[in-house]
Amino acid sequence: MQLNICHLYPDVLNLYGDGGNIITLTRRLRWRGIEATVTRAPIGSPVSLTGADFVFIGGGQDFEQQVLLEDLHRGRDREIRAAIEDGIPFLTICGGYQMLGSYYETYDGQRCDFIGALDLCTVGSKKRMIGNYKFQCTPEAGGSIVVGFENHSGKTRLGSGVQPLGKVLAGYGNNGEDGTEGAHYKNVFGSYSHGPMLPKNPAFADLLLATALERKYGNAELQPLDDRAELAAHDEMCAKL
Amino acid sequence: MLKLRMILAILLGRAMRLLSRLLHRGGTDLPGRAALKLCPELLRLLSSEVKSLAITGTNGKTTSARIIEEAFREKGWSYFANRSGANLISGITTEFIMNADWRGRPRKDYAIIECDEAAAKKVFGQLKPRVVVVTNLFRDQLDRYGEVTHTLSNIREAMHGAPEALLCLNADCSLTASLAGDLPNKVIWYGVNKGAAPSRPQPAISDATHCIRCKTEYEYSYITYGHLGGYRCPHCGYARPKADVAVTDVVEQRADGSTVVIDWHGSRRVVEINLPAMYNIYNAVGALTAVTAMGIDADTAIAALGRFSCGFGRMEQFKLGKKGARMMLVKNPAGCNQVLEFLETISDPFALVICLNDRSADGTDVSWIWDAEFETLGRLGSRLRRVIVSGDRAADLRVRVKYAGVPDERITLQRDYETLVRELEQAEETVFLMPTYTAMLELRQAVIRHVGGAEFWE
Repeated sequence: MQLNICHLYPDVLNLYGDGGNIITLTRRLRWRGIEATVTRAPIGSPVSLTGADFVFIGGGQDFEQQVLLEDLHRGRDREIRAAIEDGIPFLTICGGYQMLGSYYETYDGQRCDFIGALDLCTVGSKKRMIGNYKFQCTPEAGGSIVVGFENHSGKTRLGSGVQPLGKVLAGYGNNGEDGTEGAHYKNVFGSYSHGPMLPKNPAFADLLLATALERKYGNAELQPLDDRAELAAHDEMCAKL
Repeated sequence: MLKLRMILAILLGRAMRLLSRLLHRGGTDLPGRAALKLCPELLRLLSSEVKSLAITGTNGKTTSARIIEEAFREKGWSYFANRSGANLISGITTEFIMNADWRGRPRKDYAIIECDEAAAKKVFGQLKPRVVVVTNLFRDQLDRYGEVTHTLSNIREAMHGAPEALLCLNADCSLTASLAGDLPNKVIWYGVNKGAAPSRPQPAISDATHCIRCKTEYEYSYITYGHLGGYRCPHCGYARPKADVAVTDVVEQRADGSTVVIDWHGSRRVVEINLPAMYNIYNAVGALTAVTAMGIDADTAIAALGRFSCGFGRMEQFKLGKKGARMMLVKNPAGCNQVLEFLETISDPFALVICLNDRSADGTDVSWIWDAEFETLGRLGSRLRRVIVSGDRAADLRVRVKYAGVPDERITLQRDYETLVRELEQAEETVFLMPTYTAMLELRQAVIRHVGGAEFWE
């Protein structure tokens, strides 16, 4: 078995160790004897998403947002929407998560149109929401408890077309108000969780792998791994929060 | 009235310092903070007669300051420095209080001030430094500062408070170099003229891939490390300026130092640098530029590069274990990658201790360990005898090292520094210690209790 993992915009969306998610996915596949091929698709790249079995998008700095938007509007936006509707699994973090929504409105009212793949939007706030946090995934998203580090000033509101990824147990999540964290639509998982998200949350990492393998091969029996180190880090942070 | 306030503030600061020392605390920060509350202009008043050199930037501040000190000492100048990493306005003010008499008259002619990037805007306007060095800008503690471009605007704002200062800038850092455009200051450029061909695989993480002016992707003629090198924007033409003080050749890089050729304002010299690794070549050439901008002759400054030692966790050596130990502070991905690259050059077997804390001085977000290329460790094979992870976030480090490809049986977790140091005393192999800032303070104390060394405020 083999998975093609596409890392979209690794050149500009690469803040806060989010690339660690790619390392985690590939290691956990290879430890099980499953091949993983990672393709980087930076800005301007001709790489198509149609051959991808999994797409990852990380978070970025505001400075690079303009560069990104230009590239998105050159056709990448249509391609991402089609890939999502086609059921390709996505993990998107922070800026990459917001980007899938319909727009971002800055604190002083400037509106920036995003790609509208997911029914959600984000509004900037004055106060940054920073810190370790934890949330419990919905049963549809595996139900595991995820620990991470959030760092965002945007408040995301979900529309009726998407489900939250989970319920905040400690910290802010989507907006610090409605108790929701992230979004789940088809096989897209969006979250504010840096940390990075996957290394310390092996159950969630395996859910993503299982989703991708099931879509490609119709079965997703994942051999169990020795996750003692991962779970020790997970449980330690969980206990602190 | 102001004079009276100043005197009271000085007396208050000195009293608090005395109290701190009696209580066996460093007392580097609190006295200045209290004194500034009483007299907010205190730093301006105390520094007006002192000729100051300030160093800011993400990495290399402390090492640069130590090199500069060595040159000042060699020259016989009377100076003081904020030696213990107390680099916010409070810590800097404490140093000025301790180096003035009770009426605020300075006891020394010169000051070497290392200044936090975010604190610079409060400090420079009062300090009015003669020379400012900006070493580089990398991602560092983003949970505290926001993004690297915000750090850049902090420094720009700081420079508006010191328009007379000679500005020594790292030409190879596209972020740092962009400071020159809209500041009144006279700029002296330094850098390294040669590096690896840009065709080599780009590092997974670069802090500045796109032009700071027009956002087009840079083209590189060479790269030294991280995003440093010969960048050029194909769209607006923003490019690396020619360096006035430049390393034209790296003759040799050894485990204990480097030999380079430096072109100093047109004259070429072979220079010995008494610390290993590429990032210390930058620290050396930056310090040389700054010291000569202060008026010290190049020969004296170059002699200092071959002699200085910096201690305090920066390549600091200890007689720990059978083969000795070196402590290398790491604070962010760029610095960490440089240390990992240095470890790759070590041919003898060694043990590595990594300590990760997440206190406010370290940055509370530890995700940066995934931006650093720990995969280097996975490629070292049996030369890397063992990795011991420690610190508040040892569990996170353990996962990182595991995913970097280090075999599980070579990784251990030990949180207790006493036990750790006792274990290391028995080490047959060379020991390298890689702590983050607050972990360094504690680990260093534990090492010193066993094998000796200086207290942190000395």
